[in-house]
Amino acid sequence: MMERTVSERFEELKKNALKDFPGMYGKKGITIYVGTATCGRSAGSLEVLSSFEDILKTLNIEARIVQVGCHGHCYAEPMAVVSKPGWPPIMYGYLTPNRAQILIKRFFNEEDPALEWALGAMEENDMVPTVYETPRWFREQRWLLKNCGCIDPEDINHYIAVGGYEGLTCALKIEPLEIIEEIKKAGLRGLGGAGFETWKKWDICRDTPLFPKYLICNADEGDPGAFMDRTILESDPHSIIEGMIIAGYAIGAESGYIYVRKEYPQAVSVLTTAVCQARELGLLGKNILDSKISFDIKINQGAGAFVCGEETALIASIEGKRGMPKPRPPYPANRGLLGKPTLINNVKTLASIPKILAYGAEKVSSVGMEGCMGTAVFALAGKIKNAGLVEIPFGTTLREIIFDIGGGVPSRIKVSNVAGELPKTIKKQFKAVQIGGPSGGCLPESLLDTPVCFDTIVDTGAIMGSGGMVVMDEDNCAVETARYFLEFTQKESCGKCTFCRIGTKHMLNILADITRGAGIMEDIDLLEELAETIKQGSLCNLGKTSPNPILTTLCYFREEYEAHILDKRCPSLECKDLIAYYIMPEKCQRACDACVGSCPTEAIYTRRDRLKAIDQEKCVKCANCMDACPAQYDAVIKISPISQLPESEPRDDDGQKK
Amino acid sequence: METVSLTINGKKIVTEKGKKVLWAALENGIFIPHLCSAGENSLPFGGCRLCFVEIEGKKEPVTSCTEEVTDGMVVNTRTESVLRLVRMGFELIMSRHPIICKECPANKKCALQDISREMGFKLKPKKLPQILPDLPVDDSHSLFTYNPNLCVLCGLCVYICNEIVKEAILDFNFRGFITKIGTFQNRTLAESKCNSCLKCVEACPVGALSKK
Amino acid sequence: MNNEREPDSKDELKIVKETLKNWEGDKNMIAMLLSIQDHLGYLPEEGMIEVARYLNISETTIYGVATFYNQFRFTPPGKNHIQVCMGTACHVKRGNIVMESWERRLEIKEGEVTEDREFSLERVNCVGCCVLAPVTVINKEVRGQMDPTKVDGILLKYQLGKEVETKRKKESESRTEEGCKESNDGKNS
Repeated sequence: MMERTVSERFEELKKNALKDFPGMYGKKGITIYVGTATCGRSAGSLEVLSSFEDILKTLNIEARIVQVGCHGHCYAEPMAVVSKPGWPPIMYGYLTPNRAQILIKRFFNEEDPALEWALGAMEENDMVPTVYETPRWFREQRWLLKNCGCIDPEDINHYIAVGGYEGLTCALKIEPLEIIEEIKKAGLRGLGGAGFETWKKWDICRDTPLFPKYLICNADEGDPGAFMDRTILESDPHSIIEGMIIAGYAIGAESGYIYVRKEYPQAVSVLTTAVCQARELGLLGKNILDSKISFDIKINQGAGAFVCGEETALIASIEGKRGMPKPRPPYPANRGLLGKPTLINNVKTLASIPKILAYGAEKVSSVGMEGCMGTAVFALAGKIKNAGLVEIPFGTTLREIIFDIGGGVPSRIKVSNVAGELPKTIKKQFKAVQIGGPSGGCLPESLLDTPVCFDTIVDTGAIMGSGGMVVMDEDNCAVETARYFLEFTQKESCGKCTFCRIGTKHMLNILADITRGAGIMEDIDLLEELAETIKQGSLCNLGKTSPNPILTTLCYFREEYEAHILDKRCPSLECKDLIAYYIMPEKCQRACDACVGSCPTEAIYTRRDRLKAIDQEKCVKCANCMDACPAQYDAVIKISPISQLPESEPRDDDGQKK
Repeated sequence: METVSLTINGKKIVTEKGKKVLWAALENGIFIPHLCSAGENSLPFGGCRLCFVEIEGKKEPVTSCTEEVTDGMVVNTRTESVLRLVRMGFELIMSRHPIICKECPANKKCALQDISREMGFKLKPKKLPQILPDLPVDDSHSLFTYNPNLCVLCGLCVYICNEIVKEAILDFNFRGFITKIGTFQNRTLAESKCNSCLKCVEACPVGALSKK
Repeated sequence: MNNEREPDSKDELKIVKETLKNWEGDKNMIAMLLSIQDHLGYLPEEGMIEVARYLNISETTIYGVATFYNQFRFTPPGKNHIQVCMGTACHVKRGNIVMESWERRLEIKEGEVTEDREFSLERVNCVGCCVLAPVTVINKEVRGQMDPTKVDGILLKYQLGKEVETKRKKESESRTEEGCKESNDGKNS
């Protein structure tokens, strides 16, 4: 019997996959795609899904519901795409179970697509405006996120039907060195944050004459505020598996591990299913697609340690040890897991590989900029309108990402309880964008025209990191932000080396003193000296980059540090020990009780003149009263420094201030 | 035996190929502060961060316990940038270490006192306040005392107990600033399965583990 | 700390032994400890001793590893486990005020369990739902856009639910009593 070639075996799989595939946005019959990744579920997408099922049954409509992953446009969750013959596929956002029912009734009984709830159509047509009319959509160039939100991550046939595992088929027909050459041409750099040239790391590992070799996918995603990796793990797991098989072949490894953080249970579950399905189809295990190549994957869970994102600590964790980093050299590519050559790559780096092999390096890297080719995925969060994931070419500026694509900083809306009066809109100013997690820094408005790339961001004092971008507005204090990051780093320090273990504690104590109004000017000099020595002296990058939030905020927001120290004033009115909530007597309305009920500690009392006032000793500064005070009065303000607080008026109850 | 010649602080030295700079310096009478190295035949721990040196051609100071000697290497152990780094590293350790030399069982046999004397560093930190631990002293064992407040977390006792004696009674417990050397469930040594070999006491460079 | 109680040792040891007996795959210490933690909600001492025995390594090594990682608890959680996310996006949107609200309402600090063991409170790093910041996870269910008012609402709902449950229990108990009484009367007459 003639042996089948890799291509023939793959064609068989593809034919089979296409048989049942509903098509990208349903070219066959009525299909509803509901996003049920973690963020969708948290927003209520499972209830929306049930609602769809109920109404379709009630109306006796034969339709298929496909659970897809996250599209990245998380600001509009729960989301669903409804694909009905005769209409373009339409994406709906901000769904509720009730809206889901009404939508189906109207669309299927009255041919009314309820466009007031639609984000737009997913393809060009004459009837409905497309989603691509807004920058949030048309500025994106989706390579890594191509399949996210469009396919069922728990059905391998969907992945194959849309072009999955074609990259692997191409790779298996060429030599490892040719694969590495293609990665080099694409200019791929480590998307976990270090930005190291991927092809080099692969080559070092391939060249080390020691076996067996190992491949590890770093899915620890410890950066708070980052959820890019989680989305790809939950929405397109096979892109990672495919990337790992190609990498394994290129370096000569037959065993791979995916190290996922324990805090991502849905990702673990989706990956487990994906690995099983890949095995069943002969895409994992011995003789993949009837080739001579074997590769299999084990899934390892982290147990909660940010430091395990560092390579040597990650390896220690997989070996069942405390995640304490080791001195380098030796580098993991030479001596890693169990003393053998180990390649560690981030989720996004591995997910990029299949596309490079399938479409060619030139096509994938045709966007981007000098030194940083291709696209990057950012997780936009914080004070931003269109939060979620955005994939854009390297070289896009921060300003374009935050304002054009992200929609800028949202205003605060205060509702009036006067009949007919419109809500009050309070515009908020952009203050800074935090990039790179606890290893990164806060960049001010003046740096927003920096094009995004590993090297340009490093020049600003921050790092690109894994892609987390948290936007801050005028209500966020730069000093408090630095303190927050140091608190995080201190908690996550492994404790092995003196500079990080003890140094970050001193930096944290100093920052805590400054936010409490107990700082002195000499503290700033000491902070800088500690920062410089910790950067140089620490064993691993957790320690080395821990001073970055301090150094960047000192550089760009020094006046805030000085205000805290010299005036005991928090200019952003955030630091609790330096602010007081105050009800302005001239604005307070005697007959209104809105704030009293909202206070969790009964700190609001009635004055002799029947106006309301706050007992500072009981006040916990939760801002409930500020939110509760109706827009037409807007009587509650924050004051800093506390010395500026006017004398409090006597209480009404017994004439005595308690 | 292949040899290598290098220069440390202007002094020409010949040593075996494969040796780390730290040991090449020490055996030629050149002092480099160190706490966590268990000896030239063990893997460097990299925890104390005191053994920095400057090597010509390298931008930043490097730890001498991890750096292998090469032919023609030029090493300087007392440059301004090295001293700045090591001084701060020492201060950090001392900001966590009670200065009670007179009462300390390791008085005059203490690695911290050696570093202070050789490098001209004061024991009491100049720039940093002290944040001293307040842990109970374990006096339960009949042959030795364990005072965790004096521990500098060099890890030598853990190394000896796990890798050399292979009893695994002591290990690092917890994480970060509150890391402590301890036993199962952080209990006293009397409750553990310690075989009283006292190798950990011999290895301790300070007064944390001391014979009774 | 107000969370000392005698765990149901016999049952828990049984579960630990079952978990290890049926263990497939790599003898990975962390995976085993995570599995026991998933079943029991915490790592009892017997659990660590059994894993040490199973893997033929020192108990101290197990303890050293377990105390390193955030996921492991050494005391049982409350009936309702509350995890307040303190990731960057949650912090920027006043996550610390949410934590303070929980602490104030439950009268415990983060890391503690209420006296009646109904609630335990934990601070966690990012759970990856940054768009819904600030986030609290209650019994593995993610609640977004939290604020002090929502904290009160959740606790009130819980309180009302408990009252209904207590009432139902009382009613069913009194029905059972009456039933017994009737049958006794029936016997006697």
